[in-house]
Amino acid sequence: MALFTQSFIITLFLGAIAAGIPLLLAGLGEQLSEKTGVLNIGLEGMMLFGAYTGFLVAWSSDSLALGFVAGAAGGMVVAALMALLCVRLGLNQIVIGIALTLAAEGLTALLHFVQFSRTYPRLDGVPTLPLWPLSEIPFVGPILFNNNVVFYFAIVLVAVFAWVYRQTNLGIALQAAGDKPAALDAAGVDVTNTRTMAVLVTGALAGLGGAYMSIVVAGVFVPFMTHGNGFIAIVLAMLARGRPLWVLGGALLFGGSLSLTTALQVAGVDIPTDVIQMLPFAMVMLVLLVAGRKAALPVALGESFVRGSR
Amino acid sequence: MKNWMIETASRTALALALMGGLGTVALQAADVKSIAILAPEQGTDMGWNQQGVDAAKAAGAATGVEVVVAENLGYGDVRPTLRELGEEGASLLIAHASGYNTAAPEIGAELNIPVAIVDSPDKLSAGKVADYTASGHDGAYLAGRLAAKMSRTKVVGIVVSGEPPSWNNMSVAFAEGVKAENPAVEVRYAVIGPAAYSDAAGGKRVTETVIASGADVIFGQGNGSSFGMLQAVETTKATDGGKAYFIDVIGDKTSIDKGNLLSSVLWNLTPVYTAMIEDLKADKYGTRNYDIKLSDDSLSLLKTKNIPDDIWAQIEAIKADIISGKIVVEPKYDAESVRKLVKTVQ
Repeated sequence: MALFTQSFIITLFLGAIAAGIPLLLAGLGEQLSEKTGVLNIGLEGMMLFGAYTGFLVAWSSDSLALGFVAGAAGGMVVAALMALLCVRLGLNQIVIGIALTLAAEGLTALLHFVQFSRTYPRLDGVPTLPLWPLSEIPFVGPILFNNNVVFYFAIVLVAVFAWVYRQTNLGIALQAAGDKPAALDAAGVDVTNTRTMAVLVTGALAGLGGAYMSIVVAGVFVPFMTHGNGFIAIVLAMLARGRPLWVLGGALLFGGSLSLTTALQVAGVDIPTDVIQMLPFAMVMLVLLVAGRKAALPVALGESFVRGSR
Repeated sequence: MKNWMIETASRTALALALMGGLGTVALQAADVKSIAILAPEQGTDMGWNQQGVDAAKAAGAATGVEVVVAENLGYGDVRPTLRELGEEGASLLIAHASGYNTAAPEIGAELNIPVAIVDSPDKLSAGKVADYTASGHDGAYLAGRLAAKMSRTKVVGIVVSGEPPSWNNMSVAFAEGVKAENPAVEVRYAVIGPAAYSDAAGGKRVTETVIASGADVIFGQGNGSSFGMLQAVETTKATDGGKAYFIDVIGDKTSIDKGNLLSSVLWNLTPVYTAMIEDLKADKYGTRNYDIKLSDDSLSLLKTKNIPDDIWAQIEAIKADIISGKIVVEPKYDAESVRKLVKTVQ
């Protein structure tokens, strides 16, 4: 049977998008946090908790929309703890981030055990929203213009973030919170509140990314299912040097590499699987070497802000 | 003279202490009151983890030994948990994940407690380490014969969440079974990712791709990720427009099946763990490794309502041939052997 049929290639591209969208959402959130000076290592935990709450609500209410909202809310709950402990109380961001991830892993595994471990409920497929007439374009249409609503939202969000960062006073304030928090404070903007809001939005986006994984991609929730995506999103955000479009590119590059590894294996290319599976990570490292050398992270990244301190 | 007396007394005391210690070790080896099992995920995954936990409990009940279960430990460093369970008095530590097979022997040696590991048969050590890399190859071979008989598109797929030796062994045997039944049937193979055992999203994504490549029967090996594979066959039509089917391993997902579960290569580790406890009691632990087999039903193929009776009868006949030795399926644990049997781009 012929392997590289149009439907097979379209499935590969859809697979790349499915793998890339959670990274895009979480990466945009991490980029926002880092811009304001908060290194959000707890991203994985926010994604995982969002995956759980999103799936739980989507399954119990039979509403995918409510599931996505719940996923964002779940991520925001974990982010609220991050904001309280790191931004408000000034505790170490790396330690708290790791602790929140571990706590989210333990809690969601426990909740899954209590609720789903005997029945493993699964959701039906997520409906798509065709953007006619673009959806009729051969090959490209089914991939880009006949997708689910979260995909369109994520793409629009890239443009919104790019506009906010480049064209608005809010964007300047966010940048200042990470680079020169004392100057922002002197200008009369509350640095702590700015960072708190950024962390909460990060949590919502990471939670939505997690919900996308459980509701759209997998259709099921299992413990530890985010599988390190939060940490990959942190790397993408750092590589993107504050540019949302680069997060989009990195997420799709990673997702595309994953699909390529599957294609190579299915085709039976005689290369050891371990080598093929290095491809997505090698891609990221290559980008890091080429583009990341000039990466300039915010000056106050990882530092808590205390008003009046030098 | 005084120094000599002190030295002699010290040596005597040391010798007595050593003898006492050795005596204690010998006593402990025969006196098995509790064992512990460490599993990376919850013992409710209808697969590897549940089989391990349930089998340990059953073996404990059969032999009158208490079983301590530590589950959901993840795939990271389990040394603290191993040490804690050892210090609590477990006479055997069953490290139920291939990722634990370095840490467990280390802690076992440190605490002088025997350990059971998987995927490292060469680490067999008398009184210390035994391996139970269950060779489900005979069952997987039967699954391959079944898949080839059932496939409409004449393409079947293997999706795995990693390449531990025991899974490579079953992948090879499955592919050999397919080719033995019908050499014209193509086998497509994909690994979700490095140690992607809990990656349900990846499981679904990769399985959808394999189905899109033409496969209508998927042989899936994963822990949590297998639920993503199952979800994929439930929500994706085969390329001929018909239903895609799933063949699982280790556990039985019949209770949650929506009509796409074709079969499962069922493992029963109860005889394995029971034998371990008996060997411990007889002070013979670590002199042999442990396995599962069709002849004692510790290995079997699940019959579901999706398998027609006539095809099942043929599978039963092949099973009898394997048990009698008429058909011999050689175990092969390396990933290279898998790749040799799957379709290669010309």
